Amino acid sequence: MSASALPRAFLAMLRRDVVLAWRRRGDALLPVLYAVIVTTLFPFALGPEHALLARISGGVVLVTVLLAMLLSLDAVFRGDLEDGALEHMLLAPQPLALLMAARMLAYWLVTALPLVLVAPLLAYMLGLDAVAQPVLLLALLLASALLDLLGIVLTALTVGTRRSGMLLSLMLLPLAVPVVIFAAGAVGAAQQGLPWIAPLAWLAAALALALVLAPLACATALRIALDS
Amino acid sequence: MNAFKLWYHKLGSPPYFYLFAGYIRPWLWGIALLLAAVGLYGGLVLAPPDYQQGDAFRIIFVHVPAAWMSLFIYGVMAVSAFIAVIWRPKMAEVLAMESAPIGAAFTLIALITGSLWGKPTWGTYWTWDARLTSELVLLFIYLGVIGLYHAFEDPRQGARAASFLAMVGAVNLPIVHYSVVWWNTLHQGTTVRYFGPSSIAPSMLWPLLVMTIAAKFYYGASLMGRSRVALLSLERGKDWVRAEVAGAPAGG
Amino acid sequence: MGRFLAMGGYAAYVWPAYAVFFLVLGADVLATALRRRRVLRELAGRMARQAARRQPDVSP
Repeated sequence: MSASALPRAFLAMLRRDVVLAWRRRGDALLPVLYAVIVTTLFPFALGPEHALLARISGGVVLVTVLLAMLLSLDAVFRGDLEDGALEHMLLAPQPLALLMAARMLAYWLVTALPLVLVAPLLAYMLGLDAVAQPVLLLALLLASALLDLLGIVLTALTVGTRRSGMLLSLMLLPLAVPVVIFAAGAVGAAQQGLPWIAPLAWLAAALALALVLAPLACATALRIALDS
Repeated sequence: MNAFKLWYHKLGSPPYFYLFAGYIRPWLWGIALLLAAVGLYGGLVLAPPDYQQGDAFRIIFVHVPAAWMSLFIYGVMAVSAFIAVIWRPKMAEVLAMESAPIGAAFTLIALITGSLWGKPTWGTYWTWDARLTSELVLLFIYLGVIGLYHAFEDPRQGARAASFLAMVGAVNLPIVHYSVVWWNTLHQGTTVRYFGPSSIAPSMLWPLLVMTIAAKFYYGASLMGRSRVALLSLERGKDWVRAEVAGAPAGG
Repeated sequence: MGRFLAMGGYAAYVWPAYAVFFLVLGADVLATALRRRRVLRELAGRMARQAARRQPDVSP
């Protein structure tokens, strides 16, 4: 295997996933629609009082994005499992972790990025201060990437099971707790005019660690779940 | 030393473990019940009422052992899970998976007794206190492990997947705890202080310790009982199970 | 005895806490006993079926 083979495999996998998603671009918009619907419901439930909505806006948008990502998570490996492509990845000469890293990046581009892009609009509708907007965007970029990595590892674990949707939420919740705390903590601090860099630095550190470990863990989880 | 090593390796074999567990289980039960009786008498009768909380503090004798056990059992489960994922011995899988429901039971007890203690001392059944919140997350981790184990059709495959999840949870648990503590100091106003164990009187301390040890023996007894049943089910078709089934009355 | 049961006015919190402790652990024990019974019955039925299959021409 030449030195360029690994990046080529990574790019081929990434390209395949993105093209597949592009052919069914309607599906990729569903999580965004879901996030819009959920955030629209909050003012109806709580009343249109500006101060209250502005106070909760950061947290609401964060939790909504998390739930929207969770919605499509159990489909990450479903197609590949049904048509046998997953077995091919396991048998491929390239390391499985590399292919999983490509899958994680593709899933983030297809599902999380549209959500992150629409989030500032949702936060604006709820009345988030302009000063906190960049912090929210930064927090969402870090948190969505982290949840993408962690969520796909857990999805890999449930590949061999039936009815994994609810179970996946239950498994992801404990991992999502610290992510939500630090991301929402940064946005809350920015809203109050306090320094917000520390929680984001923690998120970034966790992301750096997860970038290295998650693909390896995902490969191990997939081998366990498919018993090979 | 050699005899001990031999015995240890024999424990890894299901029929030997089944016999061994059946032998020590009544002893563990006996010690657990005896210690619980002593601890309950010391805690409910001998210990004087607390000068601040009156008799409400007596919940400590079930709450604190349950909370300690919820973490202790997670530790045992995580170590077995680690061994199960790396070396794949059947016994480690069984011990990890049969520990999870017991740990979840103790976590549930810690949560309910904690909220029953909270009402008279803090005036509310539930507050987003750092310890209660961590304990709730711990319950979710346990439920996730149990749920994943049962989601697979092949129990051994389920045990390996759930063991992997238990290892992820072991890394995650301290992170959850510290983030929850940080979150709690961030949002002032909901901070509630437990009464520190350093200021506890000896007349309250010894029943607490006795109850804790009783809970450990209960865990051992329950784990042995559960593992025996799991082994019968996993090893069906093996000769030793046939002999066991033929010997045991089908009803009991 | 009445004073002991009253728990200094905190009976409504202390006794439920102890009840929960013993009920949940009791449920754990009961679940294991029921599972053992079910597994043994299943295995016994399985063995009986296998024994019947092995000698089908004893009573033609």
